[in-house]
Amino acid sequence: MESVQTRLDTLIGEFAGLDAREKLELLVDFANGLPPLPPEFAARKAVEDRRVHECQTPVYLWTEVDAGAARLVAEVAPEAPTVKGFVAILAEAINGRPAADIAAVSDDILERMGLAEVLGILRTRGLRAIVARVKRGFADRTAGG
Amino acid sequence: MPAYAHPDVLVSTDWVAEHLTDPAVRIVESDEDRALYTQGHIPGAVEIDWAVDLQNQVERDYIDRAAFERLCVERGISNDTTVVFYGDKNNWWACYAFWVFKLYGHKDCRIMNGGRKRWELDGRPWSNERVSVPRGHYAAQEQDASIRALRDEVLKHQKAGKQLLDVRSPEEYRGERMHMPDYPNEGAIRGGHIPGAVNVPWPMNCNDDGTFKSPKELEKLYVKELKMKRRSPTIAYCRIGERSSLTWFVLTYLLGFGNVKNYDGSWLEWGNCVRVPVVKGAEPGGPSAPAAPAPAMHA
Repeated sequence: MESVQTRLDTLIGEFAGLDAREKLELLVDFANGLPPLPPEFAARKAVEDRRVHECQTPVYLWTEVDAGAARLVAEVAPEAPTVKGFVAILAEAINGRPAADIAAVSDDILERMGLAEVLGILRTRGLRAIVARVKRGFADRTAGG
Repeated sequence: MPAYAHPDVLVSTDWVAEHLTDPAVRIVESDEDRALYTQGHIPGAVEIDWAVDLQNQVERDYIDRAAFERLCVERGISNDTTVVFYGDKNNWWACYAFWVFKLYGHKDCRIMNGGRKRWELDGRPWSNERVSVPRGHYAAQEQDASIRALRDEVLKHQKAGKQLLDVRSPEEYRGERMHMPDYPNEGAIRGGHIPGAVNVPWPMNCNDDGTFKSPKELEKLYVKELKMKRRSPTIAYCRIGERSSLTWFVLTYLLGFGNVKNYDGSWLEWGNCVRVPVVKGAEPGGPSAPAAPAPAMHA
């Protein structure tokens, strides 16, 4: 099976050579493809503190590991398609692949996608916080948590 | 019934729907999340992004006059175009873009009351088609210093005890947090507010459907309860001058205040300045001078 990083590199590659408008359109395609929160997580949302507090809009993340396989489950408010699209890309790269891979995922995802120029400096901070949160979440899980 | 001071600057979603193909009108969307425009915008509307289009990407400032002219030309805006701004978040960024257009002297700027939310609630259509517009012809004016306050002026204004409005959340005002609830800290070293500033969080200007509060409600809030005077110079600030653009719009155009400036440096500048006075807590505090004889603003 390909690693999380390899899959992520392929997804990042889809952004290469696109102009700003095309990048945003691709991001919106990913956003539209993020599945709705599964019912069992909707129930957990009420009792667990899964909100990403560093992020501008309501974003809830779960970092699940089952027999070493990672699963990123997320709910992002519809008024934040940028965040939603970015989370969908992470979920596609992560889901079903080894959780142990995630710590080694490169931190320059936004730069390599060329999103920093499209979104501006301030907006990318929330996205960086999501990457950090996801990596920490899986690190806690794979460390026996 | 009392009326807004300058009712012409507010247009309804009906008005916009009737002017979608009017060559004298350009509809402009400005959002916090710019992918919203990509996902679906008012048919024929162009996008102007606050971070990428309106900000200088090197210095902390707005784009210069030549860049503003280029932006207008590309977006099909000429000096005589009626520009109607709308967006997400109660038109907060729409007001920011409106303010920048006024900074460069654009004559006919309007806000679509209620923004994206009202358009959606009205069940009107969104389009994800790319919009191409004929190029405009534009000659901008020099920046209008009467609507923009820089830090030295804010310091003088504060010392003189003049009207100051802090439109951030109560937690930011009291200095308990240095960023909006749920927003990342963008780098203020100190928390609190400018002494003498009154806290009126910006959402108090708006209804749940994104439209502005009625003239009567706004009058009650600013004039009756806070005893603010329309003729006295007023400076509004927030974190980076975005939320205060909305309050600037409300005071200037809806309530008819005569002399309102937006301090776009706002807390991200003030909270990092050396030897400027800061008050923590819920009380505005007075116009106290800092302990040192002259504040070192350029440290």
